[in-house]
Formats: sequence, structure tokens, C-alpha cells
Amino acid sequence: MRVIWYAVLVMLYAPLAVVVLYSFNSVNSSAEFVDVSLRWYRALFADDSILSAAWNSAVLALVSSVIATAVGTAMGYGLYAHRDRRLGWLIALIYLPIIMPDIVYGIAQLSFFSRLASATGAFDLGLGTMIIAHVSFQAPFVALLVYSRLVGLDPRLFDACSDLYAGAWQRARFFILPTLQPAIVAGFFLALTLSIDDFVISYFTSGPESVTLPIFIWSAIKRGVSPEINAIATLMIGTVFAAAAITLAFQYVRARRIAS
Amino acid sequence: MSQSRSPAATEAGRDNAPRADTAISLRGLHQAFGPDAVALDGVDLDIPAGSFFTLLGPSGCGKTSLLRVIAGLDSPDAGTLSIGGRDVTRTAAHKRNVNTVFQSYALFGHLDVAANIGFGLRMQGHDRATIKKRVAETAAFIQIDNLLGRRIDQLSGGQRQRVALARALVNEPDVLLLDEPLSALDAGLRATLQLELLRIQRRLGMTFVFVTHDQDEAMVMSDTVAVLNQGRIEQVGAPAALYERPANPFVARFMGHSNLFAIRAQDAEGLTADFGRLAGDFRPGSHVLLRPEVMHIRPADAPAAGGQGPNVIRAQVRERLYRGSRMEYTVAAGETTLVAVDDNRGQGMYDIGAEVALAVEQSGVVTLDG
Amino acid sequence: MAKARARTGGWSAIWHLLGLVAPGVIWIVVFLVAPAAYLMTIAFMTNGSYGLPEMPLTLAAFKQLAGYGFLGWSPANLYVVGRTLAQTVLATAAVILIAYPVAFYISRAPARLRPLMLLLVVVPSWTNQVIRAIGWMNILAPGTPMADLAAALGFISPHLGLYPSQFAVALGLVYNFLPFMVLPLYAVFERLDTAQIDAARDLGAGTWDAFRHGVLPQTLPGLAAGTVLVAIPAFGMYVIPELLGGGKNLMLGSLVARQFAAASNWPFGAAAALIMIVATLVGLMVLRRLGRRLGGDSGVML
Repeated sequence: MRVIWYAVLVMLYAPLAVVVLYSFNSVNSSAEFVDVSLRWYRALFADDSILSAAWNSAVLALVSSVIATAVGTAMGYGLYAHRDRRLGWLIALIYLPIIMPDIVYGIAQLSFFSRLASATGAFDLGLGTMIIAHVSFQAPFVALLVYSRLVGLDPRLFDACSDLYAGAWQRARFFILPTLQPAIVAGFFLALTLSIDDFVISYFTSGPESVTLPIFIWSAIKRGVSPEINAIATLMIGTVFAAAAITLAFQYVRARRIAS
Repeated sequence: MSQSRSPAATEAGRDNAPRADTAISLRGLHQAFGPDAVALDGVDLDIPAGSFFTLLGPSGCGKTSLLRVIAGLDSPDAGTLSIGGRDVTRTAAHKRNVNTVFQSYALFGHLDVAANIGFGLRMQGHDRATIKKRVAETAAFIQIDNLLGRRIDQLSGGQRQRVALARALVNEPDVLLLDEPLSALDAGLRATLQLELLRIQRRLGMTFVFVTHDQDEAMVMSDTVAVLNQGRIEQVGAPAALYERPANPFVARFMGHSNLFAIRAQDAEGLTADFGRLAGDFRPGSHVLLRPEVMHIRPADAPAAGGQGPNVIRAQVRERLYRGSRMEYTVAAGETTLVAVDDNRGQGMYDIGAEVALAVEQSGVVTLDG
Repeated sequence: MAKARARTGGWSAIWHLLGLVAPGVIWIVVFLVAPAAYLMTIAFMTNGSYGLPEMPLTLAAFKQLAGYGFLGWSPANLYVVGRTLAQTVLATAAVILIAYPVAFYISRAPARLRPLMLLLVVVPSWTNQVIRAIGWMNILAPGTPMADLAAALGFISPHLGLYPSQFAVALGLVYNFLPFMVLPLYAVFERLDTAQIDAARDLGAGTWDAFRHGVLPQTLPGLAAGTVLVAIPAFGMYVIPELLGGGKNLMLGSLVARQFAAASNWPFGAAAALIMIVATLVGLMVLRRLGRRLGGDSGVML
């Protein structure tokens, strides 16, 4: 069992480690490692198109996650507050983006937005359509996260608020929002990872001016893997690992607070 | 709503002062959650001010629904509810000066103990200093002043119970509602808190409406008990009245009686059943109840057994339960099974199969109305 | 005891509901349901000049999908569908075989370490899927130790890499979806009632029987949930077969995508996408029904 665990760890991290390793290779080869060099990083920071792709990636991830968190939180709370009604249609609507194959998702929006653009002049493919597309698959995940947090609560807590003189707005401000805060934060970070992980939907809803890092890498691969790509990928991996370390630190700090 | 009685002041000043201004009056309350789920089926009830009033009944009888209607958390389909003489049937929960101690306590996990207790005052818009002062007074009164800085997940069950109580009492409600507040606690702690709740109610002179399914708990604590069944009130009265003179078989069984018989026929002197004769005046169609603790169990051949006269039942021991202070026998008399209780005075026990005679005191023969 | 607050107020409650869910509902309807509906109509339109859809309505796209072209019937498209199904089944089975012991191992580790171990499993999936594919391209490329080893063992001819190949696609799929199986399985293992294993042992079961009767039934809900999370997206996978499979190992996702890029035949691509949606929904329904029959609870089940 332990052997399998370590083998899986090797399998999980070997591809990432190789990317990081070859990003420091002084020659353009994935077969042999010649010497340590920062050559590809220098090339990367000199390339305006890469920097603008990084900027687009960051804007896309942050803006879509903020919108999705707001929209999804409201939807999750609405689903909970009215769970006695027949809300099958709403649940189907929430699950639809989750189960839809992302390739279908991407081309549906591509064909829809391009038709809309030729009909109205708005909705040209670009960062705007990408943000719209991302929100539409992020928000359901946030809604489900918020909903599951609410379902786990004692329903009497809502009664206790009314019993203790809180009106609807006071209840939202002094009970619901503070109680949901961890779920909302988790939802935001989930939306962020979903956005960062996505390639297909971004690819089909992007325009010429809105290349993101994964799209840049994709088209570079289509031209043949270059170590410059490894350098970009290494920076992205580094960002993710930093986020993971922060997550872990938070978990352990919270665990210790509860233990004390 | 603006009385400035803090619990502490009440304790010092006017112990036991009944408050004539707060009585709950329910008229014709109906509530249904669908055609097959009638929670309240025409409830009329007057809850005396300053009393410890208990709603007793099996689960699903409507007692919690009734409590929620009084709190304003649910609204009735029909009927009126007034608190302190004011009709509050359509008043929202957060505008009623009524507070609840929930069965699950429903303490806010994102707030510490002090903030939980002060929540209601904060929602009413009191200033920080007032909130702090009143939280401290109430915490001292409930003896949880050492817990004020704790988080909820650091509290034991009994501590949570006290915090929930303090959170309700600090608002000085006209009525305190308690929804099975002790049911999650183990037996020892439960007994302690029963006495403590009673002590608090007596000191504050506040109207407590207490919900429970446990008839022992209801009897120990209450001034008045209302027994509910299927959304209707079966009987209202003092604990002794309910136990000694239950109005109908349901109340009798719920108060723990098992020697209960329907009366089909009677003659001039009394009643003949297959287990023997009982003296008294019985109406056909009603029920008769034999209180087990007034049936004296004797060996069948003992001289004091009373021969074949009325109110002596010949029986055979089928089961016996040793309960420490007393023995409980299940005996068969003809086709009928009876339960008799014998105080444990070290006299030894009857064996299973032993022939015995039960002498029934006339005071223990109760005729029910229904 | 208290019945659920079954009564649902009047208009103000409905406005409350709509106010909360309207932004999300409108967003999803306008930007997802409407595009999907539009895509479906495209599938029934004629392929016009520049690959863009035109009237009149026709079933030509579906005929083409079934293999009828200018040159008569060819099974190529059916091969793609078959290959996609096979890859999905294979990858899902492999993921289960690996994830099962891993999830069990994590659930038996000291409680203090479990969050760290779960995080270790999940973190690679936080990176972009294109980057994960690059990692495997680096490892499997010609001249790398892995490729040399495979050549030395005679699996591939020398100087060829391990990618592009079916094998690389399968590996990429397993790598990509492993966390989605480990998490639900971990959830069921964590709540495993070990008394059932003891009971099976007590009744004379050997290791295998104890597992089969004491452990496996309890983990089936997690297994069903994991299968949904793995098989459904694996079936629609685009990036991995495209990068690791090369042109000869096309999966359905690539076939769809190509009609909207290079080959430009929107109706044909839309028809293939429609087939994909139908297959996904059917697969989901089958898995859900299985999951429910296996006693899956809604907590784990999607």
C-alpha cells in the first residue's frame, strides 16, 4: 500500500518536476540536460506577447472569479432558502454547466457569440466573452459549495435570529454572511482554480487580442515544444504551489486554534 | 418592552412577583402542513402569567408547532394568539418580546459566548456599554461568567444549554419558550439543570413555557401541564391532577398508567370483571384505572388478604422487576394483566408463578370521564 | 418532530427567490442554454461556404457523421467514437485501480497528515491541463530515459518516442483524472464502518471475502461518484488526445473541435457535439441509476 502511495506521488509530480528541470536547461532538448541556465527566463521576460498573455490570464481569472462568487453565492442561498419548493429546474440548470463536456461548451459559445457579434456588433470574441464563459461554469460550483455549507447548518439558527429580534437584513449581515464566509472564500478559490485549469473554453471564446498563457503555450506547442514554454509553465506551477502552501498553512493554523 | 429589570435586580427586589401583565391566550389555533399533516387542530389555551407551564405529549403531537406559533416562527392558519393582552397573531417573530431556548441550542458558531448572549440586544440597537453590562449581569446570574470569551465549539453540552438560556433571558422577554432544552443531556446533568431552571423561573417570576415528551420531567417542574395529542389539548391541570385524575385513557397512559380497563357493565354494588369485583359507581362506556401503588400485594393465603370480598384480586405473578426502592410485579388475574408496585422494605420478593392477592384501596380506583 | 417549513409564503417569497437566483439563472440561460440550443439547430443546417451554417434544414451532417461522404461510406468516424469509448473505459478502470488503494491508504494515515496527503494528490490538478500535458511530452519524448527504456524492452522501435501514441493518451487521462476518483473514495473510506469487516471476519470470511462483503459494498457510492467525475469529462476530453495522441489517435472532442477550426464544417461539428451531449446524458443517467441502486447517498453522489 505504501509502495503504491509513493509510486503515485512520483507519477503525480514527475511531469511537473521535468517541466521545472528543463526550464533551466541551457539547450533546447528534452532528451539531455546540459547546463543550468536562465536563458529561457530572460527570453520570456523580453517577450511582450507572453507578458500580455500573463496579464490576460490574471484579469480573466480574477474578474470571472469575483463575478462568479457573487452570482453563485446568491444562487446557492436562494436554492437553500427555498428548498421546500419544486426547484428541479434550478438544480438542472446548476448541474448543466458542470456535466457539459467543455469542448461542446466552448464551440456552443463560439458559434453563439460569433453569430451574435455579426448580428449586433457587440460580443466580439475577446476577454469579455471569455469572462462571460468562465463565470457560467464557475458560478454553479460556487452555488453548490455555498448550498452544501448551508445544508450542514442547524436550521434552528435561522429561527434563533428571528427570535433574537433580527430582521431580514440584520439576519443577512450578522448571521448568514459571517457564517458563509469560509464557504464564500473557498468558492472564490475554487472558481480561481477552475479558471486557471481551463483551456478549452478559453480557447474557443478568445479573440486575437485576448491570448492567455495556456492559449499561448498551446499554439507554441503546435509549433514544437520550446524550453521557453517550460519556463512559463514553471512560473505557473510555482504560483499554484505557493497557493497550495498557503492553503495548507491556513488549515493547520485553524486546526491548532480549534485544538487549543 | 422597555422595562429595565435585569435578572439581578429582580433577584434582589421582587422575588416571586407574579406579573399580571403577561399571560398567553390562544384561541382556536389551527395549523396544517398539508391535508394529512395537521399540527394544531383547534387549540384553546390560557397560560397563567408567571407560571412554569409545560406542553407535554408524544413526538408529533403538535407541542413544538404550538411553541413555534407562540414564538412567531410559524404563523397559524386560523385562530388568534395574544401575549400580555395584545393580539400578536400577525406580528413577526423578531418583533415579539418572546425568546426561545432551542432543543439544539442553535448557538452561533461564528460568535463567542459573550457575543451570542448579546446578539438580541445588539439587534435591538442597544449601545455597546449597555450590552456589555447586561451580558455580564446575566452571565453572572446563570453562573457562566467564566465562559464569556470561549468559542461555542469549546463548550460542553451543559455549558451550551446555559449559554442558550442566558442568550434568551438577557432580553428580559415577556415569555421564555423552552423546546425540550434538556433532552440532549445525560441523566445526572439533566436532573441538576431541571432544578436550576425551576430556581431561575421562581426568582424571575417569568412565564416559562416548556416543551417535553417526558412526563417525569413535566411533573417535577411544572405549575401547570397541558397534555397534547394529535394537535389537540387532552387535559390541562396541575401535575397531581393529571396523574391522579387523568381525564381520559390517553392522558392516563401517557402519565404512565397501565392498569386501565373499559367498563362494559355494572351492577348496584359495583363492577364485576374477570379478575374480580370493584366497589364504586361506574358508568358504562367510561374507563377505570387502578393505581399500582395503592394495590397492596399479599400472599394468597395470608389472613389479611381479605378473602373473596370486593376490591381483592386473586392473581398469579408473571414477571417481576427489581427497581431498588420498590418492586414491580406483572400479575395475571383471569384474562387480565395488571401491574402492582410494592415498596422494598426488605420483605423479600414473590417468585414467578406465586399465587397472590391484591387488595385495592378505594382511593386508588379512579373512574375516567372518557 | 417539527415539520419542515412546508408552506411557502406568497408573492414576496417568490420575489425573494427570484431576486437571489435570477442573476445566475439568467447568466446560465443566456450564455449557456441559448448557445447550446443554437448549436443544436446548427446540427440540422446545411454546410455553406466557409463552413458556416446556412438554411435549409437537413440531416446531411448526421449522415456525414455516420460515414457517408462524397467517396461513399467510410468507418473512420465510427472508429473515432469507438476509440473514444474504449479510451474512456480503459482510463476509468485504470484510475479506479490506482485510486482505490491510494484513498484507503490516506484514510488510514494519522489524522494530522491526511489534509497534507489529500492536498498532495490534488495540487497537480490546480495547474493548467496544457501544462500537465507538456510534462508528459517532456517525459515521453524520443531520447528520454522512459522512451529509451521502452525501446530497449522492445515495446517501440528505437528513436521513436512514447508519444504521440494511444498509450500516451491513456496515461494522460489517468494522470488528469486521478484526483477526481481519490476524493470521493476517500470520503467513503473515512466513514467506513470497520465493524462490518470484523463481522465478516467473525463469520469466517477470509481476506478477499472480508473485503468483498465488509468493505466493497460500503465504498460503492464513492466509486459511483468518482466514475461520474472521471468518465464523463474523459469522454469529452480534447486537450490530452490532441497533444499526446497526435493526428492518428483522434478522439471525439478533437473531431468536433476541428470542424470549428481548420476543417470548418460547423453543421458536422455541431452534429458530433450533439451526439456527445446525448452520450454524456445517457452515461450520466446510467451511472446515477447504478449509484442509487448501490445505495449511494446524495452527499457523495452528484
